[in-house]
Amino acid sequence: MKWFNLKILGLVVVIIVALLVPLGLSDYWQYVLTVAFFYAIMAASWNLLGGYTGQFSLGHHTFGMLGAYTSSLLMVKAGASLWLSIPAAIAVTMILSLILGIVCLRVHGLYLALITWAFAEVIRNYLRMHYAFTGGDRGLESPLLFGTLQPTPYYYFFLGLTVLCVLLIAVLMRSRIGFYLRSIRDDAIAARSMGVNIVRYKVLAFIVASGIAGMAGAFYGHTIGLISPVLGDFNEMAMIIIFVVIGGMRTQTGPVVGAITVRITMELLREQSEIRIIILSALVIIIMRFFNGGLMEFVRRVKKWVSRRKKPVSAYQ
Amino acid sequence: MKEQAHPFLEVQKVVKKFGGLVANNKVSLQIGKGEIRGLIGPNGSGKTTLINVITGIYEPEEGNIFYAGKRIDGLQPDVIASLGIMRTFQVARVFRDMTVLENMLIPAFCQGQSRKDAVARAEELLDFALLTRLKDKQAKSLSGGQNMLLQIVRGFMNRDLQLYVMDEPFAGVHQSIKGIILKSIRMMNADKGITFLIISHEMPTVSTLCDKVTVLAKGELIAEGTMEQVANEPQVIDAYLGG
Repeated sequence: MKWFNLKILGLVVVIIVALLVPLGLSDYWQYVLTVAFFYAIMAASWNLLGGYTGQFSLGHHTFGMLGAYTSSLLMVKAGASLWLSIPAAIAVTMILSLILGIVCLRVHGLYLALITWAFAEVIRNYLRMHYAFTGGDRGLESPLLFGTLQPTPYYYFFLGLTVLCVLLIAVLMRSRIGFYLRSIRDDAIAARSMGVNIVRYKVLAFIVASGIAGMAGAFYGHTIGLISPVLGDFNEMAMIIIFVVIGGMRTQTGPVVGAITVRITMELLREQSEIRIIILSALVIIIMRFFNGGLMEFVRRVKKWVSRRKKPVSAYQ
Repeated sequence: MKEQAHPFLEVQKVVKKFGGLVANNKVSLQIGKGEIRGLIGPNGSGKTTLINVITGIYEPEEGNIFYAGKRIDGLQPDVIASLGIMRTFQVARVFRDMTVLENMLIPAFCQGQSRKDAVARAEELLDFALLTRLKDKQAKSLSGGQNMLLQIVRGFMNRDLQLYVMDEPFAGVHQSIKGIILKSIRMMNADKGITFLIISHEMPTVSTLCDKVTVLAKGELIAEGTMEQVANEPQVIDAYLGG
């Protein structure tokens, strides 16, 4: 109970700090944090798939890109309003993920990873080649969400969106569906024998995770103002996985902590150019070797260590 | 179409092959409602394959399986579970990263039981299995025997459970855990009329627990009857002594 209260207090402090941050930060850093929030959503939604359900998709970033292109193309080419283009982007990503999910039903592990990677490459190259329609590598101008490049409104918007997505995933994972997803990841054969319809829930996880990515991608496109197939580069996917791994796979806050920490670290090391990639890679190795539960594992160990120091354990307990 | 009278579980001439290996060759058996049936045979005789076919993990190449008059061969394992057939595995398959209590809730949730009812039932069963103090621990922190026990009591969470298929439930577990497993089988059989099909190599246990035993060897059914009856069958002696 005491620890629960402390958690709530910590959360309130984090939210207050997050709300006050723009007052003390330059536009540049507000923009950095806005981008970090986008990646936090991408990482949290991939964690639902790769972490909680054990479906190691390498095509998650593509759904973000598809969301961005669908919404932007609808607005630019068809003159649709944002109220139509965003739901349409979510619907398109969900339908495509349903198809991909069905294709991937019978495969897992490396095979699933390869199929989703191939899907990602097909989409990325399609967007590059059809430059007359998509703008190709030159990119596509995306109408700005708030009609301004000043980052403060985007910061608050993405902060709210991140909190909303994390809450949505938390509610889902505490529901029966969350139980089913975790059981599938732990042992699909045992789950089926207990009565879990693994086909339904694996596809559902794919659709929900991709829908969240599609929505985040759509809003991200309208935040950065110029989208390109770079969003579909494999680097993007690798970064999403790194955020989850560093933050803590199968934890609710880990991917968010990972995305924000790594993005800020990379910005701080920007002047060091390529060195930052080496530092990031070294960080991954260290965390994997000593804290394979990521930063959240580190926090857990510190918490355990502190509580042990406070309360000596009786040999008779 | 006229409804045919069937025993509670009827396996009709089931054939299951893996490439050139015939794991089950025209195996037929009938089990009555409320029976505790032992399934014995030397290693590699096709016992586990047969229960994998019954519970939907494998689809048979030939033959039919009827359960409570309904044909179930070819159905998916989750559909079979929803009909009231639960199973355990030789090496306990628990959800390792979930807590003991969460493991218990899965079958109950699949049936649409409310969380409150499911938790109450799970706590009752965990108490019976002496696992209450471990209910918030992750299953991966349990011993092999405790995991076997958890796997068994988890199956009892299925409110509609009528047939429980167990693969080596007594293998490698401590005597005290074996005692709890035996007690749970006898209690559920007597109180709820649950039918059991149990694979075991522990002949003394099978002999005292099971009404009848079915013996498989090299994928074929070679004997059936009480333990005393089958123990004297020359084919059974041959199968076990490698004759």
